[in-house]
Amino acid sequence: MSPWVGAAVPRKEDTRLTTGRGTYLDDIARPGLLHAAMLRSPHAHARVVAIDTAQAERLSGVFSVLTGAEAAATSQPIRPLIPTPAPLRDWCLAVDRVRFAGEPVAAVAAVDRATAEDALELIRVTYEPLPAVVDPEAAMRPGAPLLYPELGTNVLWHDVLSYGDVDGAFARAHGILRERFAIQRYASTPLETFGCIAEHDAGTGTYTVWTNDQRPGLTLAILAESLGVAQSQLRLICPDIGGAFGNKRRPAYLLICALLARQTRRPVKWIEDRIENLTALMHACNGVMDVELAYDGDGTVLALRVRDIADEGKNLVTPAQHNLIKLGNIANGYRIGAIRYEPGSVLTNKCPSGANRGIGKPFMCFAIERAMALLARRLGLDPAELRLRNYVRPAEMPYTTPTGSQYDSGDYPATLRRALERAGYPGWRAEQARARREGRLLGIGIATSVEPAGTNLASYELVTGHRSASGSAEAAMVRVEPDGRVRAALGDPASGQGYETVVAQIVADELGLTPDQVHVERGFDSLSTPWLYLSGNYSNKFSVTDVGAVVGAARAVRDKALRIAAHRLEVAAEDLELAAGEVRVRGVPGRSLTLRDVARTAYADVLGLPPGEPPGLEARHAYSNPLAAPVDAQRRVRSQLVFSNAAHCCLVEVDRRTGQVRILKYLVVHDCGRELNPAIVEGMVHGSTVHGIGAALLEEFRYDERGQLLTSTFMDYLKPTALDVPDIDVDHLESPSPFTPLGAKGVGEGGAIPGPAAVANAVEDALADYGVVIRSLPITPERVWRWLQEAK
Amino acid sequence: MTIPIRLTVNGAAVAQNVEARRTLADLLREDLGLTGTHVGCEHGVCGACTVLVDGRTARSCLLFAAQLEGAHVTTIEGLTPAEALSPLQSAFSRCHALQCGFCTPGMIVTAHELLAERPAPSRQEIREAIAGNLCMCTGYVNIVRAIEQAAHTTGDGARGEVAR
Repeated sequence: MSPWVGAAVPRKEDTRLTTGRGTYLDDIARPGLLHAAMLRSPHAHARVVAIDTAQAERLSGVFSVLTGAEAAATSQPIRPLIPTPAPLRDWCLAVDRVRFAGEPVAAVAAVDRATAEDALELIRVTYEPLPAVVDPEAAMRPGAPLLYPELGTNVLWHDVLSYGDVDGAFARAHGILRERFAIQRYASTPLETFGCIAEHDAGTGTYTVWTNDQRPGLTLAILAESLGVAQSQLRLICPDIGGAFGNKRRPAYLLICALLARQTRRPVKWIEDRIENLTALMHACNGVMDVELAYDGDGTVLALRVRDIADEGKNLVTPAQHNLIKLGNIANGYRIGAIRYEPGSVLTNKCPSGANRGIGKPFMCFAIERAMALLARRLGLDPAELRLRNYVRPAEMPYTTPTGSQYDSGDYPATLRRALERAGYPGWRAEQARARREGRLLGIGIATSVEPAGTNLASYELVTGHRSASGSAEAAMVRVEPDGRVRAALGDPASGQGYETVVAQIVADELGLTPDQVHVERGFDSLSTPWLYLSGNYSNKFSVTDVGAVVGAARAVRDKALRIAAHRLEVAAEDLELAAGEVRVRGVPGRSLTLRDVARTAYADVLGLPPGEPPGLEARHAYSNPLAAPVDAQRRVRSQLVFSNAAHCCLVEVDRRTGQVRILKYLVVHDCGRELNPAIVEGMVHGSTVHGIGAALLEEFRYDERGQLLTSTFMDYLKPTALDVPDIDVDHLESPSPFTPLGAKGVGEGGAIPGPAAVANAVEDALADYGVVIRSLPITPERVWRWLQEAK
Repeated sequence: MTIPIRLTVNGAAVAQNVEARRTLADLLREDLGLTGTHVGCEHGVCGACTVLVDGRTARSCLLFAAQLEGAHVTTIEGLTPAEALSPLQSAFSRCHALQCGFCTPGMIVTAHELLAERPAPSRQEIREAIAGNLCMCTGYVNIVRAIEQAAHTTGDGARGEVAR
């Protein structure tokens, strides 16, 4: 039935992308195109007293200069991407006050980028610097400088969410493990930076915006609101997207370019440069977490208390998201009966935080998996054994955690056991012992994780007290063209996930074709792509919603094709099957119509249709995953919907002279349910695991005490290169989800979630003789060297 | 200030007046429409803009176009056969060595230089060769495999094609 789903089909995208024939945003040219550049604040916190643009406007080649005051006069405030807990307003450019170094205060449109940047140097801004606050705990204290004085605090969200008998469990416990962990700011830094081209048609009053924004449904709504136009007057187009990982969502820039386009009557392009990307687009929150595990004598974890401070930066983009989303994996894969979570989302004078591969869940997993490693050591248990004692058992699936997450399927103990077997765990331990005798520091790290997929926006009711959006959904279209060829489109624009291939595999199975015979539209065009407010490339949602939309549309087309063929062949539709491009009467060789014949009837020979059947052979289908539900009376919610899981094992060596950590072996066993295209799945696992390794060893947005970013280029913000990471050995189990149409689950974030913990656990194991406890990242050579010196 | 230059790009003679501050990447992408060369960082770290200049890899974001008088420049377009794919390109597809594809042209240009010099590189040599090209999607695992496979492909079109 499904020859294509499940096969490692080579990607349809690859021919254009390997030959340089892809079309990324910056490859698009428009007649009369102008180029924009942004003037950005050099201060982390300051009042904007005056802006003088006269000289810049006089520069030859400059068409327009836009200031915050003008933007505020000609557009509406820009709404956050998710419901915000505080009634704060923000415009696309800073007005009156700047709140982080790098915040845009003015924009120039000119004949080329260089001229626009020349003009920036001619703009005179008078700032009155204000004290900056860069540490989230300092920002929470009374008397701290306030980013929004009208709010009266820097704390955007604080709550205590309690599930089950937490106090009772702590009172009964054999012991309590208390630790404080921290995470740094880092980001996925897609290789293609963010940007847009905006065009205004003065005749029709419509705007066309090309962008690599990964969530076009919501972005279109926000942009229309801020421009003050109907959504019907705005067209949004996404071409090939050069990676996104959550970072590429910033409607403010689209608005700036739309305002410039309206003013100049010319199309305006803005492409973020790398410094702008690292300084001002989006970082994962840094933060601190106090974790307390109450445990029994045998290592059973009874209850968990977590106090979690997320440093949002100047975040009116996705406020409180990094806290809230941790409810999805706070229990990780363990049967923890009672949980108390105290989130604090805090504003500071730093780059806005936002979605980044896993959003908050890597830190949650880091803290839990570090705590489990420390607990194993305290109890004298092997870290694998401690986990096996605490896992949710396969027979308990679907299992609901205290916070309301439903683990839909999976065998967590088997996943870890498979990893240990594949690694040859006793062999690694022997190798470690041998190396120790030679004076070399080898360490073994284990971390296991759940990987949530699909978001349920109803969960934000916990933050805001009301529901403004909810559920998880996507839309798709399948059309048999009049010539019998098939075209499909999806409201989720891929940013590297190979949807043109996977959607073609799914449609091919449903319509009895080969993937080659199914053309899948690249990207997104709001005029032709079916889409919803919730449409987009985010929250690991392809398997949870997109597949349902594609399957639904394809089945509607298939059913119609069968009805038409049944009428023409004078048989019952139930006796027909679709295969090899034909509708055939089962068991009667030669009695068939080609799909092309059926399409001809549907479009051209409409009198040949069954009575009452409308012409055409196309269907649009919008699919909402049925697992999404509102917050319940106990404040439990399925903030995310289906759960993959993984076990990571790594073997590292620490060079005691230099502090350098080298990963000798890295192994992943994961389970994302049914694998729609195993090659693509494996590639996702590799990439997200390396993202986790980067966070563990290299990457950090480091600020000084005045709020200046010290790591604003790839010379000092270090990404993993081919020499920094090992070959990654991947194996998998397949526990199909009962709650997705084809049994698939999320895969894009999986490696990024346990990766940092696996590496940290390994380094700590290597340094066990020195009594080092790793409480923060990244584990740079300098820090390791210091630990070793301090231990001497 | 504009400067007249003459150079060869993918085998074709190019005569162009360029502004002194325009980079080779600007010239290729904007003046010649060769958008297969991508710009990822503009400070010479990420390698997305890698092209061959007189047969050697170079960062087109770090070279001024005006420096290229008389040079032979080869871009991903110049390494792509008129029909089908080069052995490296098909190995990248076969091994699923790309996801978003933004790094891929620069990666293939770099791999092309490696295979021209070392037809059978070790895995470590491959990793060293591509260490100046960042990929944010693949974790490099399948890129290394693809280059290894392309090296094993008989009659590798990568060899002998380098414009000297």
